[in-house]
Amino acid sequence: MRHALILLLLASPATAQTVPQFVEETAPSALTHSFAGEWEFMVGGGVATFDCSGDGKPEVLMSGGINPAALFVNESSATALSFRRVESGLELDMVSGTYAMDIDADGITDVVLLRVGEDTVMRGLGDCRFERANEAWAFEGGDAWSTAFAATWEKGADWPTLAIGTYIDRAEEAFPWGNCTDNQLYRGTNGRFAAPLPLTPSFCALSMLFTDWNRSGQPSLRVSNDREYYKGGQEQLWHMAPNEAPRLFTPEEGWARLRIWGMGIASNDLNGDGFPEYFLTSMADNKLQTLADPKPGAVPKYADVAYAKGVTAHRPYMGDQTKPSTAWHAQFDDVNNDGLADLFVAKGNVWEMPDFAAEDPNNLLLQKEDGTFKEAGDTAGVASTLQGRGGALADLNADGLLDLLVVNRNGPAQVWRNTGPAGNWIAVNPQQPGPNRNAINGWVEVRVADRVQRHEVTIGGGHAGGVFGPQHFGLADAESADVRVIWPDGTEGAWQTLPAGQVHTVAR
Amino acid sequence: MLNRRRVLGLAAAALSATALPAVAAAPPANPTDVMTQWYRLVLELIRHTATQTPPVASRAMAYLGVTVYEALASGNPAMTSLAGQLNELTPVAIRPDALHDEALVVHGAMTASVRHFFSNTGPTGQRAINAVERKLTKTLTTNQPADVIERSLACGQTVATHIIAWSANDGGAVVENMGFPLTWTLGEGPSNWAPTSKISQQQAPLLPHWGKNRTFAMPPGPTTCGLPPHPEYSEDPTSRFYLEAKEVYDTSLALTDEQKAIARFWSDDPMLSSTPPGHWLYVAVDLIKSTKMQAPRAADLLARLGICVADAFIACWASKYEYDLLRPVTYIKRHIDPKWEPLLITPPFPEYPSGHSTQSGAAAAVLTAFFGDNYAFLDTTHDDEGLEGRQFPSFMAAAEEAGMSRLYGGIHFRAAIEDGLRQGYCTGAHTVALRTM
Repeated sequence: MRHALILLLLASPATAQTVPQFVEETAPSALTHSFAGEWEFMVGGGVATFDCSGDGKPEVLMSGGINPAALFVNESSATALSFRRVESGLELDMVSGTYAMDIDADGITDVVLLRVGEDTVMRGLGDCRFERANEAWAFEGGDAWSTAFAATWEKGADWPTLAIGTYIDRAEEAFPWGNCTDNQLYRGTNGRFAAPLPLTPSFCALSMLFTDWNRSGQPSLRVSNDREYYKGGQEQLWHMAPNEAPRLFTPEEGWARLRIWGMGIASNDLNGDGFPEYFLTSMADNKLQTLADPKPGAVPKYADVAYAKGVTAHRPYMGDQTKPSTAWHAQFDDVNNDGLADLFVAKGNVWEMPDFAAEDPNNLLLQKEDGTFKEAGDTAGVASTLQGRGGALADLNADGLLDLLVVNRNGPAQVWRNTGPAGNWIAVNPQQPGPNRNAINGWVEVRVADRVQRHEVTIGGGHAGGVFGPQHFGLADAESADVRVIWPDGTEGAWQTLPAGQVHTVAR
Repeated sequence: MLNRRRVLGLAAAALSATALPAVAAAPPANPTDVMTQWYRLVLELIRHTATQTPPVASRAMAYLGVTVYEALASGNPAMTSLAGQLNELTPVAIRPDALHDEALVVHGAMTASVRHFFSNTGPTGQRAINAVERKLTKTLTTNQPADVIERSLACGQTVATHIIAWSANDGGAVVENMGFPLTWTLGEGPSNWAPTSKISQQQAPLLPHWGKNRTFAMPPGPTTCGLPPHPEYSEDPTSRFYLEAKEVYDTSLALTDEQKAIARFWSDDPMLSSTPPGHWLYVAVDLIKSTKMQAPRAADLLARLGICVADAFIACWASKYEYDLLRPVTYIKRHIDPKWEPLLITPPFPEYPSGHSTQSGAAAAVLTAFFGDNYAFLDTTHDDEGLEGRQFPSFMAAAEEAGMSRLYGGIHFRAAIEDGLRQGYCTGAHTVALRTM
């Protein structure tokens, strides 16, 4: 009888969870870099991953703060991560954030560098070489403390729309509070950006995301703001109707005021209702928002289910630290390929902030079958207590397991190889003709039996950086999956059955 | 034309010595300006330091106020020291018999005191403290003799050190986990406080032992300014308790725009504002500036205001944990409407009495004694947040509105407000009784 009970417990997906083992390979992989700086780099530290060498393995671009940004070409194998730092043209200093995208739709990845100073767009030349394109694309980089980024292609647009979030007026040394500088919206056409449009009011944004939260076909701009510095501010959601000035959602439309130390946004349709949930990083308790009444025409009213789902991640889960945590980058992805999105959160004290934990381990929260999450940062081996900022879950060695990168402030960046165990997987790379080649703000759906996982393809969110590449899905034991793309214009692609264990390009 | 006696008085207040200066010093800076510049920063630090919940902020305000008062009193025989009047406060060191610049004395005292009581502030706060210190030091020391600078700053620092030492064993010096105990056993009765948020940290109540702290002007002991019990807990729809809950519920369903504005104006959420005691501090600093108040009187006001709100929070917190009463949102969801939500965020600690009411009553008692019964004023505390200022005919009227704002906001029953105000008047009276000038 006792044996039977033990077997039953082990068989329960909610309790017998696969904890993948991550092996730190920072030193042997030669990923040697540090994001460094004082007050103006207490935030930022993003990392971008994207394949610029064409070998299917993503390169790594890390912000450097007062150090130059650094691009590492990926030479990893199935059994070892390996990187080689290269001169790429991206070695600018004062970089706080890095995002990759194909701005000019030439099939070569470009890069946006968020800086304390002039933001810079870098055109990809191929073979991991880049050149400044501010002048060629009429991009006015300004002179702010830039800290957030998102990009989309608005309906009918032949050129992307970029949103850049900025932080504090650097000149206000004694009284910086209430001195958030304007976020900027860049629209353009015919290969050039127009003068930026200030997104006022601005409340010291640390993360932005264009997202079709209500599946209307028209993404809105979500902005997560740091309440430490704004006055009269809150989290924001902007209407983004093409050719119209952005307009904030109002309480009359259902938007409820939320004031947090907003630092990062991650999204995923966790409950399978077709609408994304949003994880918002902060200090102490983090938020997991789910649409209160999910249906077509839904209003943007969200319930916070972080406590119910076990993702408040409000305090270190190991060591003797009892003070609250500080969370930065967040990303949903399936690290054990069990078909359930997991959640990584980079943690780290702001900077000698004694009310908050000094040793604050990163979180790796594994989703259970019942939709709740369980902490596995320590048992998985990623519980670094350096001052985490940016991060990325990406398949660095093309073995189907998501590896982990973390940028630490005033400390070495770290990389871990995921050695499993894990289930089967599939990755989908949607491609379409026209300006929005990578189907940004389209959806990739993967169906196994009657269960559908879906990712919105986005550029932005996280903390100061993100992954630009195929959408990864865990399949558990399934050998194949039904896959379709819902393109950014709403056209639903046909379901097609594809084999597991591969990256598939789904072309329109 | 300036009155000659007034000019002399100003100079005497700002530059004191038993001996004439050996060299011609620069015109003395106004110590009141130094105070108000530091207090402008203090209001920001209260908001931007996570441990500065309202009780903790009131404590800092009390010690800062006593520090600046004692710093000036140490060179002004017209000012009576608070030593011997405040619990366990001993006299500060006697000043050297030499020229001091009072603005620099205040600057030295405030620098050391702000650094100590806001040592937990983050990097931006630390940077701001450094910037304010640097700016004021540069301004105040220009053309001043080196010995006067050194002596004056040292005098202020010495007083600050004395007050900091006095503060160390009052029970409130160490605040861990932002004031939330790591373990806490909830009461099991139907009337007991229950957590009202889904924030993990707030599943235990804030600062449950704060009521045991040493008081300032209020005599020690649990019966000082204690309160009678709240209306007897009942779920009977005809009971006073139920009717008070129904009043909160009914009011919330028919809130006027004015009532909503009142609730939001006095919301004063920690980490999103300078908190309830900071709200009254803003009012006081505004009055100091607008009335061009002389430094000794300004220091007297800042000390009394800090003392009274600190005592009010200690008395209030003692009562809160004595009665351990649930919040309206808990009761109403259980017994009236399970889907009801209050306008304001419910604070994470027991209901009775209302903390804002208690400390507002105390502040109003002190400000009334200071300025008079019907002193009209415009409260612009939340201009920066875009909330329109509110005009009041008196401090008592403002305190009563602050109390009622908690009913409009759905976070307190009427008894907590009315008894809270009474408790505040009681604690404030002990502060009013202090002898200063």
